[in-house]
Amino acid sequence: MIEVSWIAGLGVILFGIGLVGAFSRKNAIVVLMCIEVMLNAANLNFVAGALHHGSVDGWVFTAVAIAIAAAEVAIGLAILLSLYSTQETISLDEATLLRN
Amino acid sequence: MMGEQKQEWDRLLYIVPFLAIVPYLYLTGASSTDYWWLIIAAPLVFFATIAIAGQIWNGDETWVNQLKEGGILGLGALSVSLSASVWLIYDYLDHHGHVESGDPFSWLTFDVLTYNGDGWSIATTGFSGIGFGIYLDAVSIMLLFVATFLCFLICWFAIGYMTTDSINDNSNHRFFAEFVLFSMGMFGMVLADNFLWLFIFWEIMGLCSYLLIGFYYWKESAAYAAKKAFLTTRVGDVFLMIGLLMLYDIYGSLDFAVVFDDPSTGVGGAMVDAAMLQTALLMLFIGAVGKSAQFPLHVWLPDAMEGPTPVSALIHAATMVNAGLYLVARMVPFVDVSHHGVAGMEDLGLIVAWIGGITAFMAAAIAFVQNDIKKVLAYSTMSQLAYIFTGLGAALWFFNTGNHHAGALVFGGALFHLFNHAMAKGMLFMASGSVIHEVHHAHDHISEEGDDTDHDFDPQDMRNMGGLASKLPVTATAMMFGSMSIIGIPLIGGFWSKEIIVGKTWYAYFHGADALLGPALLILATAGMTGFYMSRMWFMTFAGEPKNELVDHVHETTPWIKTPLVLLSIITALGGFGLALYGMVDWLAGEADHLSIHKSTFLDQVIYELEHAFLPEDMQLRYVGWATIALSFILGPIMAARVYGGALREGESAIPFVHWLTSLSGKFGSQNVDELADSQLAEALQNRLYIDDFYEGVLARTIVPFADFAAWFDKNVVDGVIKQIESNSVLGSVQIRRITTGSARDYILMAAVGALTIFALIWGVGA
Repeated sequence: MIEVSWIAGLGVILFGIGLVGAFSRKNAIVVLMCIEVMLNAANLNFVAGALHHGSVDGWVFTAVAIAIAAAEVAIGLAILLSLYSTQETISLDEATLLRN
Repeated sequence: MMGEQKQEWDRLLYIVPFLAIVPYLYLTGASSTDYWWLIIAAPLVFFATIAIAGQIWNGDETWVNQLKEGGILGLGALSVSLSASVWLIYDYLDHHGHVESGDPFSWLTFDVLTYNGDGWSIATTGFSGIGFGIYLDAVSIMLLFVATFLCFLICWFAIGYMTTDSINDNSNHRFFAEFVLFSMGMFGMVLADNFLWLFIFWEIMGLCSYLLIGFYYWKESAAYAAKKAFLTTRVGDVFLMIGLLMLYDIYGSLDFAVVFDDPSTGVGGAMVDAAMLQTALLMLFIGAVGKSAQFPLHVWLPDAMEGPTPVSALIHAATMVNAGLYLVARMVPFVDVSHHGVAGMEDLGLIVAWIGGITAFMAAAIAFVQNDIKKVLAYSTMSQLAYIFTGLGAALWFFNTGNHHAGALVFGGALFHLFNHAMAKGMLFMASGSVIHEVHHAHDHISEEGDDTDHDFDPQDMRNMGGLASKLPVTATAMMFGSMSIIGIPLIGGFWSKEIIVGKTWYAYFHGADALLGPALLILATAGMTGFYMSRMWFMTFAGEPKNELVDHVHETTPWIKTPLVLLSIITALGGFGLALYGMVDWLAGEADHLSIHKSTFLDQVIYELEHAFLPEDMQLRYVGWATIALSFILGPIMAARVYGGALREGESAIPFVHWLTSLSGKFGSQNVDELADSQLAEALQNRLYIDDFYEGVLARTIVPFADFAAWFDKNVVDGVIKQIESNSVLGSVQIRRITTGSARDYILMAAVGALTIFALIWGVGA
């Protein structure tokens, strides 16, 4: 039997990896992937919570979050495509239209 | 020409639907007291309609030619008001004054939060009774008729006057909208059944007066006159408001019904203190002084002639200025000791009479030297209103000393003079407008032919006129009857009321009011002076040789102008005598409950009235009456004829009586007054006795420095604080702006740090 704390710990580690990746990489696709990793870390926390409390709420949240994440990725990729078509780059260091 | 005229009359078809409303309601069996709101609602609705439609269709051909830029709509709205008020008046007279007015239309309720010891609760206070109902008695009925009738005729006249002057093109809708709103204010003020609503409508009129005087706002003099009128009347209005608050304090209500029920008992059954009530009434009187242009707040009225020529002037002569008189007339229940009035307020009547006497004399003196035809009429208005104030003052004195009968007689006489003066002065101003209009047109006509365009030409200056009697027959006749009524030529219009005012003021002096000797002497002298300056105006304008070549080109053009003149000529010439026969004075005073002939036959009544006017039984009154007639009918006009009169040029002829009058005016010899005209007195009169200069001097030393300081304070302290905040925010935001790098990674970092901070805070607080 896997302990609840192990699952929660895995979530924390994944979230940390995602967070560090999100603000250290400059490729937008990688950043998007990192965000997904963080999202799934959160999902793992829900799962851990569901096991701990013995209720199905956490499972339902996770299922919904995965569905929404799929939609979010589609939107994220669409933004990147449009970014590329206007700026001819997907490097976050160069996409700074909102500066100041 | 005839075809053109017929086409003009076709426009009148548009007001037929308006005129049909009241007859329709009458035929359905409705009661006039359920539809009194039409009198106010119709002008109010069409004020908005004209103002908005004028903006949308400005310059549109149908709007300009068919609807006269809203003039026809305004006339329609006022015809609704006129017919509804005639219906109301008919019912009132038919029921001998016993009309049940409908439930007050409750509009304003004030809920007040009160603390009852445990908590706050909403309480509806006694103030909830500010419903708008109507208060009908002879006074308000008479004024309602004067206001609706004259506003209707003035609007009619204005259509002819305003739309034929190219300077007004495309701004007439502004004029008509303001005009209709003004009329609504007057109707509402007359009908209102409590002092608060009276005050509200009073202020609406003040606003419209300001807007109409400043109609030519691009002219500096007009803008200045508008400001002067607004600010001067504002001084009175502040006192009026203080007076109303004091009345509320005393009676706990401003409803006429509550206050007049028993003026000697205040709120909670307390006895009313005479000194306190007298102060409150004096405050109201100061408001009336401002509105009715009496000394010392009279300075705005002559300048108000800057408004669109006759029409705004007419407002300031025939209707609005009566508001002050109406307010003073409403003071009677407070002082009438034989009907629960409060004794010990004789001083109020004396002060009112003195203000009236001083104004009457001063205005008549200034009118001597005016050459602007409208300014003469403006001063004449001040002087005649002052007569009415003197009469009301004497009435208040009589009422307060227990002589109810004499008080009622002079009260009725004063209000009768209001009626006669309004009709005559309304017509005089329209006639002067007709003169100005035609002289102006003749001047334009000459300027087009020759190239000697004279931009300084003043079409209102009587020194450019003379001999117009043959050119403007309708106008000359109208002006003659109007002047006769104002002078008080026996049997015509104002004679019947002026006799009563002068006679009864003297009667008051003979019967104990020693302080009334001054006003009594002043108004007796003014009677003669009125005879002089009104005759002078008429002779300078219509009699003698033409003083300017353009007179040959003058003729009466637009049909809109003549109709009101003819109608009012008849009323002015015959109305005074007719209404005197039917007991108008007793009816207005509330002594009789209907207008009727007291004697058995009409002829008996005529003989009785004539005897009463010329041969009163009281010998003192008889001499005073004769003196008045001698001064106003004989001395004044003959003096004027000697200086300004003269027969028409050879070959010119006017209609019979007018022609005879001009010939007569040349037969008294001639007198040269150049020396008098150069005297210091004449110069002082020209400068309005330096009162305006004095006010300006005082204001320049007191209010203006304070205003400069206030402007400095506003600019540097009030605005300064805000500007400092603004410039500091700009500086701050420039700094803060730096952290928005535009890089997504930085934002993610910030979000993460922010989230961690929040967690840290939650843990920190929780621990």
